[in-house]
Amino acid sequence: MIKVLFFAGLREQLDCDSLEVEAGGVSTLGELREVLSSKGDTWRVALANERLQMACNQELSHGDAAVRDGDEVAFFPPVTGG
Amino acid sequence: MTDISIVVQAEGFDPGAEYNALRRENTSDGATAIFVGNVRDFSPAISATTAPDSSSSGSAVAVMELEHYPGMAESALDAIAREAAERWPLGRVRVIHRYGRLAAGDEIVFVGITSAHRQAALDACAFIMDFLKSRAPFWKKELTAGGSAGQWVEAKKSDESALQKW
Repeated sequence: MIKVLFFAGLREQLDCDSLEVEAGGVSTLGELREVLSSKGDTWRVALANERLQMACNQELSHGDAAVRDGDEVAFFPPVTGG
Repeated sequence: MTDISIVVQAEGFDPGAEYNALRRENTSDGATAIFVGNVRDFSPAISATTAPDSSSSGSAVAVMELEHYPGMAESALDAIAREAAERWPLGRVRVIHRYGRLAAGDEIVFVGITSAHRQAALDACAFIMDFLKSRAPFWKKELTAGGSAGQWVEAKKSDESALQKW
């Protein structure tokens, strides 16, 4: 399984802070994003936001990056700390 | 070898005590640069209506909620501090970032650097703040009167472009 986390405005938009996705058939972050987008209109619209950032195993990453069973992936809006 | 210390916490911190800790038994570094970020009273209309009649027995009214990604927040700050320590000769690096509910005036972030030389300390301090703003997973939400909904702060393009000078 791939653990997926959502933060801040995206978490509220989806009304979901985490879920697990079957790793089979998902080889990149971009593909994982497509799988999540197919969960419904809210998911499709929220995940279509091009400004969203992605992390894999707690490092900023991109759609072409490989993802495998046991990874922790996160989607979130651009950060605003400091 | 730079002494790097990263803390992500809900509790407040004392900038004076942090300065003293940076200087303790540290006579080799002649320069100390410190940046402290505080919560701005960014919504005057809101605070004017909520502050005077706060029923919370005089305690400060929270105006901001800071969300973070536990684990990644610490590792992102650590990676930024290590990058700074590779670029400049630094003695000590201390970074503190808070999360949770904060009131106007509260400290949010502390970056303290010691170095043998002024320019290295100043540059490293600015470098860490610039990267923290665009790379560390924290999100600010301004709270509205009544404390129900709130508004997520939008990331500024100027924060991202600030990285180009490094």
